[in-house]
Amino acid sequence: MKQRRLLRFHGLRRPRVRQTWNKYNLYNLVRLRTPYLNAKTFFQQKWIAKSYTRGYHGEHIKEYQWERMFSRRPLSAVNMDPAYMARRDGSEQASGRGSGLVGLDPSEKWSKNRGNLNQPTPYMQMSFAPMERRLDIAIFRALFASSARQARQFVLHGAVKVNGKKMLHPGYLLNPGDMFQVDPKRVMTATGKPDRSKPKALKVARPRLYKPDAAKAAKKEAAAGAEEDLDEEAIRKQNLEFFEELKKVAYSASNRYRGRHLQAKDKQYLRKMVKEMKSVLAKAVKPPTTATATDGKTEKGDKKGNWFASKIEAMLDYLSLTPAERQNKSMEQHVNDQSAKPASEEASSDESKSKSNKLVIRSKLWKQLSSQQRKNILKAFQGTGGRKARGNSLPYRPRDWMSPFAFIPRYLEVNHRICAAVYLRHPVARPGLSEVPTPFSPKIAQLAFNWYLRRS
Amino acid sequence: MPPRIHSSSCCQSRQLLNYLEAAPPISISASPLALQRLAATSTSSSSQLQCSRSFSTTPVTEARQPTRQRREFLKWINDYKEKFRTQPNNGKTNYISQLVTVSDYQDVYEDQPFPNNPNFRSEPVLSSKARHMIWKDVMREGLPLKAVSAKYQVDMRRVAAVVRMKQIEHYMYKKKMPLARTYHDVIMSMLPRAYLTPGEKPFEPINDIHVHSYTMQQLFVPTAESREFTRADAAKAFGEHILPPDEKMRIPELVEMERNIASGMEPEKAYAIFKETAAQSERAFAEAQKAKAKHQADKTLRVDNGRFEFRFEKVNADDVGRNGRSRTAVGWRYGQPFTDRRRGEVKIPTKVE
Repeated sequence: MKQRRLLRFHGLRRPRVRQTWNKYNLYNLVRLRTPYLNAKTFFQQKWIAKSYTRGYHGEHIKEYQWERMFSRRPLSAVNMDPAYMARRDGSEQASGRGSGLVGLDPSEKWSKNRGNLNQPTPYMQMSFAPMERRLDIAIFRALFASSARQARQFVLHGAVKVNGKKMLHPGYLLNPGDMFQVDPKRVMTATGKPDRSKPKALKVARPRLYKPDAAKAAKKEAAAGAEEDLDEEAIRKQNLEFFEELKKVAYSASNRYRGRHLQAKDKQYLRKMVKEMKSVLAKAVKPPTTATATDGKTEKGDKKGNWFASKIEAMLDYLSLTPAERQNKSMEQHVNDQSAKPASEEASSDESKSKSNKLVIRSKLWKQLSSQQRKNILKAFQGTGGRKARGNSLPYRPRDWMSPFAFIPRYLEVNHRICAAVYLRHPVARPGLSEVPTPFSPKIAQLAFNWYLRRS
Repeated sequence: MPPRIHSSSCCQSRQLLNYLEAAPPISISASPLALQRLAATSTSSSSQLQCSRSFSTTPVTEARQPTRQRREFLKWINDYKEKFRTQPNNGKTNYISQLVTVSDYQDVYEDQPFPNNPNFRSEPVLSSKARHMIWKDVMREGLPLKAVSAKYQVDMRRVAAVVRMKQIEHYMYKKKMPLARTYHDVIMSMLPRAYLTPGEKPFEPINDIHVHSYTMQQLFVPTAESREFTRADAAKAFGEHILPPDEKMRIPELVEMERNIASGMEPEKAYAIFKETAAQSERAFAEAQKAKAKHQADKTLRVDNGRFEFRFEKVNADDVGRNGRSRTAVGWRYGQPFTDRRRGEVKIPTKVE
């Protein structure tokens, strides 16, 4: 069902207080006074009161729906003090001629039922209590959404669970004991400051992608060359070209991909680059000998960063070497792995002891890169591509003009850490207090109640 | 091509025209007043900087000004942005009752988020420390809910809800699901909080009973002056089925404890007995629940074929109620059309289990 919304939702000329945390609404709330109604007819008074109150309480709900929900019997509760109950049976109130003895000392302990305010019960402020049972309004009351309409949208978009099951009806009437949960991410976006600082895309010329076809051809040649001892310098040149390309990518990434919003083309480009890097890497660390594999595993176990670092280092080394040098190196490595395995283990254990998360890459080429470029290469390589939630808490900044609206009525128990709340019971009126949050004076509330008495 | 008229001169001529049109034809001849007005308009038009629309006589600056109400709003927003835009940092609330101190000839209290409504107050919420205390007492110490409720003066239902959500929180923490910690801290800094420390005022009434609508009427019941007219008698006078408050108490063990204390028992001993009886009643309740679940399980035959679990229950097809439309009735009955497709039928579920 499409929801109609007034154009002047937060108007200044004909102000209506709404269920939102808007600053216009705050201003209207500060200006809200009980209108002068003595010159009006009784019908006009009731009409005005109704229009004021309905503008706040569920203005997104149709009038006939609300009329069906309205109850002319508001709920109320009284506290009974157990100490009084244990000592008196109530007969002292009816003694004498039926209204208690005059001489009874009120200062005497247990002479009165304590725990209630000595004020009349504001039943008239309870007219809109059935509205507070609605799921969307309960979500707004639990401070999970910045307006009742937003809360309604949460439900419709499937972000709300009731007792662990997805609930798609904003008009679901909560039963006492029902727990509702809202997706924390949505809550934090809704109640947080809107992020208006969109990162500006710097106009950097997109570097030409390192051509995979040419590279592959070159590699094939290189492989052939390794066998036939052909032009090694050419291969070195090719590799260095690739490295230059890598540098360019890192540079452009540091400028262009600084923000969060990557365009589809940029993503494609990055992905291609990563793929290319991986193919080179596969060659660099091939074949995975048992020693390196186990090393990789253990290091992956305690430190992911180092594992990546070692791989990148291997790749860079590969790029800087000629096939002959490579062969020599692999021989050396093999010997080293055989002999110095415990040493490497020691080193890794030392590193884990020091608990430094810094990457250790000792490559000449790596040193030529700036820190930002290195970071970007690592990011692209690890495939994170963006921010990661640190730990398991989400970042948050509250929105402006929020604090004057922050209160939680007593019929809800809210746990904001998990964005869940339990609807404990229906809202009740107690002597002097009513649990329905309504911004209107008792006079207006009474007139509105009388308006709906007509129909129920 | 006709000669072009400059915009400024155009404006002036237009104003002159306006004046002439507005004035009655007789006054064209020679009226000193008219001449004065003419002079005034000509000077004012010359003082204008520019005229973008050739037929408009409204000065540009006036036409573009926001309305009075908007100006006032902008001024208010500017004046109070320091106060209300951010969250309070001193552990206090930030309601507009600081600003609107009198409403309808009545003083506005500090904890009134709505100055016009003295009946709604922003009451404290449980701080995270308090919630942890409650959780610890229930889950670690194994205290019965009733005892915890009485200890901290927190409603039993609230105690249960706190523990329930705390358990979920622990689960989510263990599973490394994202938690809204910063959001929680910020919201807490805006709300009044209760720490449940010994000196604090009671958090909420824990012994409240629902006021039955039958008891809201005024009755005249003649009784003998010598008769002790107790709460139980009053309940009976309101109606046969109306329970006296003593039977409606949520924690009747608390009344029993007070009775023991009143009859001279030592408070410590009375409290120990209270804890014991509360634990007993809770155990009995849990057993009853378990028995109910077992009874239900015994009634159902479960057949699991790997993909679905079929549950068979024995029902009586004749058990359809007085008018054949009983809610618990099963199956379609001849001559009783379903109402679920009728116009205006509400399909929203009434409960979720």
